[in-house]
Amino acid sequence: MTNAIQYTKRRFEALKGAIAGDDEDEPLAVIGREESVSVHLQLWLLVGMVVFPILVAVVVSTKQQGIVTSLPDLIPGTYAVENYREAIVDYGFGRFMWNSLLMSVVVVVGKLVISVFAAMAIVYYRVPYKDLVFLFVLFTLLLPVPVRFIPLFQLINDLGWGNSLLAITVPYLASATTVFILRQHFLSIPNSIVETAKLDGVGPVKFTLQVLIPMSRGVLVGVSIIMFVYAWNQYLWPLVIIDSEANQVAQVGLQLLQGDVQGGQLSWSLVMAGSVLTLLPPLALMILFRKPLLETFAIQQK
Amino acid sequence: MTSNNDSTRGISRRNTLATTGAALGAMTGLAGCMGGSEGNEAQFSPIADELTVWHAMGGTNGETLDGIAAGFEEEHGIEANMEFQDSYENVLTNTLAAFDSGNVSDMLQVDSLFAQQVLDTDQVRPVAEILPDDFDTDVFLDNVAEFFTVDGELASLPFNNSNAIMYINRDAFEEAGLDPDDPPTTLAEVRSASETLVDEGVTQYGITWPNHVWFVETWYGFEGELMTDAENGHAGDPSEFYTPDAVHDLYEWWKGMADDGLYTNPGIEAWGEATSLFIEQESAMVLTSTASVAGLIADSEDFTVDAAPYPSISETRVGPVIGGASFYVPDGLPEDRYEEIGRLLQYMAQPEVQTEWHKGSGYYPITQPSVDSLREEGWFEENPMYNVALEQLQNGDASDPATKRALLGPARNVQTVIQDKSVDVVNADDVGSEIETMKSEVESVLTDYYE
Amino acid sequence: MSTREIFDGRLEAALLLAPTLLVSVVFLYYPTALAFRTSLFDAGFGRAEEFVGLENYLTLLESSAYHRSVAISVLFAALVVVGTITVSLYLTFLIHEVDDGQGWYLISVIWPYALPPAVAALVFLFILHPTLGVLTGPIEAVGFDVDWFNDGPQAFLVVLLVAIWKQIGYNVIFMIAAMKDVPDALTETAELDGVGRLRRLVSVYVPIMTPTLFFLVIINTIYAFFGTFAFVDLLTSGGPANATNVLIFDLYREGFSFFNFGVASTKSVVLFLVVAVLMVIQFRLTEEYSYYGA
Repeated sequence: MTNAIQYTKRRFEALKGAIAGDDEDEPLAVIGREESVSVHLQLWLLVGMVVFPILVAVVVSTKQQGIVTSLPDLIPGTYAVENYREAIVDYGFGRFMWNSLLMSVVVVVGKLVISVFAAMAIVYYRVPYKDLVFLFVLFTLLLPVPVRFIPLFQLINDLGWGNSLLAITVPYLASATTVFILRQHFLSIPNSIVETAKLDGVGPVKFTLQVLIPMSRGVLVGVSIIMFVYAWNQYLWPLVIIDSEANQVAQVGLQLLQGDVQGGQLSWSLVMAGSVLTLLPPLALMILFRKPLLETFAIQQK
Repeated sequence: MTSNNDSTRGISRRNTLATTGAALGAMTGLAGCMGGSEGNEAQFSPIADELTVWHAMGGTNGETLDGIAAGFEEEHGIEANMEFQDSYENVLTNTLAAFDSGNVSDMLQVDSLFAQQVLDTDQVRPVAEILPDDFDTDVFLDNVAEFFTVDGELASLPFNNSNAIMYINRDAFEEAGLDPDDPPTTLAEVRSASETLVDEGVTQYGITWPNHVWFVETWYGFEGELMTDAENGHAGDPSEFYTPDAVHDLYEWWKGMADDGLYTNPGIEAWGEATSLFIEQESAMVLTSTASVAGLIADSEDFTVDAAPYPSISETRVGPVIGGASFYVPDGLPEDRYEEIGRLLQYMAQPEVQTEWHKGSGYYPITQPSVDSLREEGWFEENPMYNVALEQLQNGDASDPATKRALLGPARNVQTVIQDKSVDVVNADDVGSEIETMKSEVESVLTDYYE
Repeated sequence: MSTREIFDGRLEAALLLAPTLLVSVVFLYYPTALAFRTSLFDAGFGRAEEFVGLENYLTLLESSAYHRSVAISVLFAALVVVGTITVSLYLTFLIHEVDDGQGWYLISVIWPYALPPAVAALVFLFILHPTLGVLTGPIEAVGFDVDWFNDGPQAFLVVLLVAIWKQIGYNVIFMIAAMKDVPDALTETAELDGVGRLRRLVSVYVPIMTPTLFFLVIINTIYAFFGTFAFVDLLTSGGPANATNVLIFDLYREGFSFFNFGVASTKSVVLFLVVAVLMVIQFRLTEEYSYYGA
């Protein structure tokens, strides 16, 4: 186990360097000029391919009709404000975004709190059959939504939660991944610190607030981003359980932007405006908090 | 399974779950939330104090519906929320789920394709029993009333009804040297017009239509052929799927059109893509709903659009099957709601509302008074495109069972099979054997459901 | 390890664990148990449940359509794994090799991690639409007929492409970290020996990155089986002719279009077995390799 922790820590360091871009002190292989140009060219090409689709989405969201059938059509239009306004106001996409945000925030906060509790009990408490408990939590990794969504659907309806915020948040609150990451991280907090706390007779609340949380800031932010992206991007479950426009989330609501397709309307520009809007929150969080996010991923792998 | 009686239907599973759930609820402190909605008096609880209507009308049609709700509130002081559910498929799923969970909407806009599936739940109350006594159900056009009457009673309120018709690009026709005033009326003529259009380089394709079972049904109807035994399910439980020679002709033609690049498949249930292809002038003809009239006129800025009757497989033209949807009302809501629901239903069938709806959407007016008033004001002369479907409907032989859209319990499943298999047939070397596969797959779905 | 256990309030510990355990039991274990149960019944909306024993399982065993769906899913998963890992590995390697702009390159390739699958599907539907797509013209100009609404293999390819594209970012995140771990000395030795760049990737980096790569194989397989629903739903609806009817979509359709809850639950159980096998493999491998990095 300790090996793994050291390994993980080294990874942190390496990653921090990579993300901050401060690689100067780490002499890499010496590459020749030409070679370097070819590497950059290839990268530009690949990056272009990765970025192209979303650029198209952005461009289309600024056009009037939104039908773009060839590359020269990809000149930005002048209807951006109008399209976004129509999507957000007329089609109620603002409402869907708000619902998604509410869902994601509740899931993140709820999951974080109960997972910190669980990980704390597992690491810092003397609990009988601790390994069994941990395994019990870990085993839920085997039960993704698709394996249980039909009975879950019936259960939620029988609870009278159908079509509500409860339906799209509570079932997500237990998280094997989050408990696992936090446990790994707690285990990596130097023993000396923990022992000092013990000698000082620090109680659990104080320990959490003064030791655990300050020592875990990065990981807590990291898992929060992972959870946010996960919750925000949910599609299948809201599709199944939410049946009113007022409670719909952005992912599913995107389709509603197509307009009355049977009546012959298909507003691509609105769909793309919605797509861009839907991408923004997770993307912004990811870019803002990329450092803790990547560090946390490194733990997940262990 | 149609023989199941009310007491067992849908209850037993809920009981089992409720028992398990209650035990669980007690354990978890959630007991207070457990639904106790099984009384005979009011089996269902309404979604909101106001009336709720689940519908599948997006875009401008949805806005027109909202307007109708506003008008209703103004006149009757009753609030009604029109809730858009994205598609008929979603309305169906949500309806069935709601019957299960107990929180149901007051009115449900069900695609006529799924009518039997909803009727089979035995959880809907015929609107004839809800409409106010002074409501005259004879106002509906015969062909319309015919379809929506079940066991001698109006089961649901017809509202947005449509046929499939053909839209043509007049400019493209002229450019190719075709006469836009004499559009193709049979598949053979569609093919020759398509060849001209494509050969002349006017458009890339001659024709397109969404891969939706409705178009296949319409071809059956015009040919006077039943899709299934038991008169398309109107006279009992169907078990056999018919594939007469005309259907082989249809698919041979379809395949030929695809192979020769005269037809393009916009995708399964791809209504929007099909009309986009037409608007983008990739295809000079499109088969789609009469409900697209208003949208197509508005969007065809670069050319003149026109409407024509649906092209039939042969010269035989018995009549189209009716499409679109009607409003069903659940049985088992608190009794005091039915009076308000009845008033909303009545309001929606009023000539003025029907006329407003027709003009705003292109769905045909389905009551005689509304047709009369539109004729009086000269609407159809000024807007002949709006008349195509209505005329096509009224020219049809409503007494022929083939023009009654199939009522199948597992409609969604049959629909999926036919749509999936249509692609197979068109891609296959041997059309005949693929049609056989389609037949046996549909029949196995029917057997599974009705056994 | 035991020294970390500084608190011993049993009740406290139980209270701390309670929320996670409760939610797990109610919303994860219990529905799963119900799925196992329902798989033995004929059930659906509004119909009486009927115990049918293993009939649903037999139905699946005999259903050629389901076998096809299994085959398609396995092939799909295999290609997603190979495709994602190959592309990501090469991309990571390139990023690793450059001296400047590394941070920017990194961000511009890992961002699709944050991209909602539904958005990815809609954007690609727009770009690759057989007649209206932006890229359709250029692709057809080089002599390839874009026809994935009719052509099964093409549709499969489109869904595959979107699935791989969306997953690259996630893979790069892990790979770049692993590649940074390769000791510089090794790289330098390889350079001195005149080992070419690509060979260095294959014979020096890849072996050292094996634990990470195995981890990603499993993650990508799970993703291919479970994370691709939105792509299929929005792009192809399982068609044409079931060419993209992967297990997860097939299950959804069985349950929520056809309302055959019994058969659908049976399909859930099959999927559960798939995850179970994958997870067992992952745990085994993690154990085996946990000493590797140190």
